[in-house]
Amino acid sequence: MGKANWVPPLLAVIGLGLLAASGARAETAHEKELYEAAKKEGSITWYSGILDQPICDKVGQAFSAQYPGIQFDVIKTTSQVAFQRLLQDLKAGQVQADVFTTTDIGHMVFLKSKDELVQYVPENEAGLVPALQHVDPDGYYHTGWVGLSAIVYNTAKVKPADVPKDWPDLTDAKWKNQITFGSPNYSGMVGVWTVAMAERYGWDYFTKLNELSPQIGRSIDDSVTVLNSGERIVGMGNPATAIRSAAKGNPLAVVYPTSGTLMVISPSGIIKGTAHPNAAKLFMEFIAGPEYSKILVQNFEQPLRTDVAPATGAKSLADMKLFAPTAEQIDKELPPNKAKWRDTFGM
Amino acid sequence: MNRQSLAPGLDGQEAGIAARPAARGRGRVRRSFRVEPWTLIWIGATLILLFLVIAPMLRLLISSLQSTDTGAFTLENYVIAYGNQRRLIGLGNSLLYGGAVVLVSIGFAVPLAWAVARTDMPGKSVVRATVLGAFITPSYLGAIGWILLAGPNAGWINRAWKAVTGADTGLFDVYSFAGLVLVTALYAFPYIFVFTADALDRVSSEMEEAAHILGMSPLRTVFKVTLPLVLPAVLGGSIIVFLDTVALFGTPAVIALPARINIMTLQLWQFFEFPVRAEAAAAYAVPLVLITMAMLALQRLILGRKGYVSLTGKGGGRHHMALGRLRWPVLGLCLVVCSLAVFLPYAALAQAAFSRAWGQGFSFANLTFGNFAYLFKEASSRQIILNTFTYSAATACVAVVLALIVAYVVSRRLVPFGGVLAGLCMAPLVVPGIVLAIGFYAVYSTPPLALYGTAAILVLGFTTRFLPIAFANCMAGLRSLNPEMEEAVRILGGSRLLAVRRVVVPLLKKSLVGTWLLVFIPASRELSTAIFLVAAKTRVISVMILDLSENGSFELLAALGFFLLGVTILIVLLGYRLVGRDFLLRKA
Repeated sequence: MGKANWVPPLLAVIGLGLLAASGARAETAHEKELYEAAKKEGSITWYSGILDQPICDKVGQAFSAQYPGIQFDVIKTTSQVAFQRLLQDLKAGQVQADVFTTTDIGHMVFLKSKDELVQYVPENEAGLVPALQHVDPDGYYHTGWVGLSAIVYNTAKVKPADVPKDWPDLTDAKWKNQITFGSPNYSGMVGVWTVAMAERYGWDYFTKLNELSPQIGRSIDDSVTVLNSGERIVGMGNPATAIRSAAKGNPLAVVYPTSGTLMVISPSGIIKGTAHPNAAKLFMEFIAGPEYSKILVQNFEQPLRTDVAPATGAKSLADMKLFAPTAEQIDKELPPNKAKWRDTFGM
Repeated sequence: MNRQSLAPGLDGQEAGIAARPAARGRGRVRRSFRVEPWTLIWIGATLILLFLVIAPMLRLLISSLQSTDTGAFTLENYVIAYGNQRRLIGLGNSLLYGGAVVLVSIGFAVPLAWAVARTDMPGKSVVRATVLGAFITPSYLGAIGWILLAGPNAGWINRAWKAVTGADTGLFDVYSFAGLVLVTALYAFPYIFVFTADALDRVSSEMEEAAHILGMSPLRTVFKVTLPLVLPAVLGGSIIVFLDTVALFGTPAVIALPARINIMTLQLWQFFEFPVRAEAAAAYAVPLVLITMAMLALQRLILGRKGYVSLTGKGGGRHHMALGRLRWPVLGLCLVVCSLAVFLPYAALAQAAFSRAWGQGFSFANLTFGNFAYLFKEASSRQIILNTFTYSAATACVAVVLALIVAYVVSRRLVPFGGVLAGLCMAPLVVPGIVLAIGFYAVYSTPPLALYGTAAILVLGFTTRFLPIAFANCMAGLRSLNPEMEEAVRILGGSRLLAVRRVVVPLLKKSLVGTWLLVFIPASRELSTAIFLVAAKTRVISVMILDLSENGSFELLAALGFFLLGVTILIVLLGYRLVGRDFLLRKA
């Protein structure tokens, strides 16, 4: 045997392994180019209709850490409010937001039709979960967040034998005065849920739900608060919020319905006419990149990428049966659903 | 009546002693036209008022007549807004809601104000502090506390009732019209309390003593002499409570929505859904201005030409009515109201504020200060807290100065168009905050102002929003002040500015501090205006509370509510310390 001539290759392998393990990323040439141009622009503003302010702030801090020299400002409101502000800005001829993210895909359809978006497909899009890619075939908007809609319940008050297993189980008479959910008039995600349920089970599903005297809140996350208080014991909600709350010690659990968990894609897009187009593109790359997905996972949200594992206790998208209405379906059916909701539930 | 100086030829300089004029004008009595500093001040104030109020409201009126898509003139927005039965029912319910809240609030506020200002009841500072606590509490937060107390299934009160009496259903369901009215009134009655207590503080006891000498029983005196004297204050406060209630969004969203009660502001929200029709929203809100005008006319009708002057230049003091054995029942009544408004709901919220996981229920393992620690540790939340109090203080200062100037001009009838100025000052109150905010956003964020993202746009927006309260309170104060003292100053050669500075302001000092707080406190919890006007660096506590509630972070929300209560109480106590002793109080 020669003089330990397996050492250099081993060292090389160890070195590469360490490099990979340390998570060091090499910037691609495209990214470098964007960064240089973005640094000259100096800042970026994000109108976010997703997550919450603390998480959005963390996203901003991570972005600034990865790309120093670019000031990051984020305004988190509900998607309705963010959209209204955006429209006011556009009407006044002043583009304040560089990137806009909303839970309501109808907003993006509208903006695209009025030619207010910039077409840009991030490089990192290739690393996304396949179901989340090519949300817009023309590349004007891309996935910024994945919201899920499933069944949630209070573990202290619901016996294991009674736990509902699928969507139709919610209409069972034993849940009279016990069920809660949000309203499509206030929440984009609940709106998509009405479209999905009406497609599958007809509007009769909601007529039956009304007979149970449900407590109707506003946002999809209101059900978590109501369940925590014990006022109602079963409902429809966002698994990420429920798991986040349960991790603190609250008596909540999630049921991923057997016929499928509803997936709502929240798109992000770059506004046309912004003074910081390169910074905006860089942020779109960031959203599709691993750092952003890691922040989502830390907060029990669904990661967007295949190479980032979901949080312990949360299922990954690949392990779930998912279904989602198309953007056309949502665009067409949501407004009449809102009117039908008012007729059925009175509000 | 013309209030011009009775001694022509004098100028507006300091220390006008009658000996001066002989030295001037070489003995000729000229009627010199000099522009008093006061004239410049009130003209400037009027212009600012016109800009602050007229610009956004005109913008709203114009947009209510514009088509959403093309911008052309159209009446379709009014058709959209009122052509639907549900919307009409919503408006009707809102008016009923407002009226009911006013009645309940008067029922809470007037007895408490009388007990605190005119009797020797013990524990007054506790009652005053608690009423302030109720005022500081965002009604939205109080409603959440009441849901924890009186939710039909899990509310503490109902669970206790079921356990004690073995009944099937609880005692009180907060998700009802009665619940809605009660919860709103508990956080609106402080307006009437402050106005009434303020007015009662200034009523000297002479008239009550006269009634007593003439043989009237104390109880009849209260109803026929004392309370009628403060009718303007009660009415002023009631109008504000009514309009505020009609425009409220937070409490209806939390209680009326699950209770399936159709309220106007909830209907209004629909116009902001996609597709957004802000123009129809403006159209829905515009008729409320007509309602305001009707209420102001009604107020004038009720008050009539009767005199409400109770603070004169002839001195006089006031002393507290001795209640004897009735002291304790009266205190008990006050404490019941205080419990309903503050002690009970905050106890319920405390369970969440000090819990790691409030759904787990009470246990020693679950107790933590972590929620409060988070508020201090996070740089963004510290910034938000600082922002809130800075902007509210700035708003209060601007609003009080502006309101005092305009109220003085109107109450002393210095100009013929005083009624118009009064109407302008009161108009912003009636337009729902969310609609007004769009007007602000449209006016202030476009060039040449381009105030978008600055603190200034928030302060201006809040000032316009709360100007009506400051104005109403200043008017109530000035109405009780007999003009003879200012006339005395003018006769002696002083300018009107001197009269205001050295006579009116010191006499109304306590009232002005009260007015400042009456603007500061609502400004620090204002939500609907803030939603549209905040930017990344200028966020405020109310927006943070909304954000926390929308993603279920209930523990932090409760902690933030406590924190807001604590700091605002400190600021209020500081304010009272600055005002000093009540100089009218006659030593027994």
